[in-house]
Amino acid sequence: MIFAKVIGTIVATQKDQNLVGKKILLCKEVTHDRKPLDTYHVAVDVVQAGEGDFVLLTYGSSSRMTELTKDAPIDAVISAIIENVEIEESYR
Amino acid sequence: MKLGRVIGVVWASKKVEELNGCRLSVVQPISNNGNNDGNPLVVADPQSIGSVGDKIVYVTSTDAAQAFNSGFAPVNASVVQLVDEIS
Repeated sequence: MIFAKVIGTIVATQKDQNLVGKKILLCKEVTHDRKPLDTYHVAVDVVQAGEGDFVLLTYGSSSRMTELTKDAPIDAVISAIIENVEIEESYR
Repeated sequence: MKLGRVIGVVWASKKVEELNGCRLSVVQPISNNGNNDGNPLVVADPQSIGSVGDKIVYVTSTDAAQAFNSGFAPVNASVVQLVDEIS
């Protein structure tokens, strides 16, 4: 899993049937200390995340391993909203 | 499977149901001689094997879900072993 920050919402009227009712968010990958990286992901939200939230993002086929996304054609899911990341002092 | 060192902990207020009760650790991948190898990643630790500072073995990809009792969880990597010694 990787760290990401929600930077926007994606609205679509026409979509795959298995995506109906799912919130799709635009996320920017960040480091553990919240510095933005170059990559972005379009991810399904199953934890009611919102814009600006620091989140945990699961990518690839593993993102289908939740009750809410198991049959959906997706490759990224927001699996948690992160409160804080504690890194050991010797690493920082 | 890969070698890594647990360097931190992730505190999440809200998680997907499949991850409830599961520890989330920040892991720095290391090479066979113990040097840092690439960027840190978040690794699930459903059996609470590794604490901060520990050297661990983690499994990546879809196989990472097998570390959970249910075999069903949205994870890209899971801790599966605590390393005592590499000789």
